[in-house]
Amino acid sequence: MCFMVQAAEKGEIAPAVALPLLQDSGGPVLLAEYEGQIIYLDFWASWCPPCLVSMPIMNEIRNRLQDEGIAFEVLAVNVDSHPEDGIDFLLDSPVDFVVLSDPEGTSPAAYGVRGMPTSYLIDPEGKIVMVHEGFKRSDGEKIEQKILEMAGNSQ
Amino acid sequence: MKKSLALLPLIIPAGLVCSSCQPVQAWERGTLAKPEMAIDADPMETTLNTHIFFSKEASNGGHNAAGGGCGCN
Repeated sequence: MCFMVQAAEKGEIAPAVALPLLQDSGGPVLLAEYEGQIIYLDFWASWCPPCLVSMPIMNEIRNRLQDEGIAFEVLAVNVDSHPEDGIDFLLDSPVDFVVLSDPEGTSPAAYGVRGMPTSYLIDPEGKIVMVHEGFKRSDGEKIEQKILEMAGNSQ
Repeated sequence: MKKSLALLPLIIPAGLVCSSCQPVQAWERGTLAKPEMAIDADPMETTLNTHIFFSKEASNGGHNAAGGGCGCN
């Protein structure tokens, strides 16, 4: 049987996410809890080098934008089949945002993730505004610009 | 028994087709991403080996080794 997953595209409502926290097994945390904020939903794994590049950059952007009073949050979903690999990375490079764990890969399957990392910029109404595949250092600036643009529009 | 044998020509190709339709998803590549899973785990060593091989064999071309057989390049 062939399984084709429909990818979540720009303009669509972001599929629901309800996952436990990676580091202290708390939760579940729901994407819906963050309605009203701009969300950067990021699927990452410890074995994916560009994912690891993105983490500290997105942490910086998140803290800077929040300091400016922008309702923005990063929600990272670790998809390591051994969550301890993701935890090890975060122990070395801690981040201030929420990191969820999905070793079964149900949420990337729901989003139809095609490459790692893939991130989704979701507007306060829960609609996907941007899908971003891969990550290089210069991408942080573009993403921050897009968030600022969205924040300007929603004011 | 005869019935199941008659179904074999249907079952075998169906099995082959189905098994080839299971791509490794992007988030499932953790094991494939390990260094030991690389086809060429040490590109530098491969480069040196091919250079020596083509020089010693007096052969020309192949990979990224310059040929000629003099062993000097």
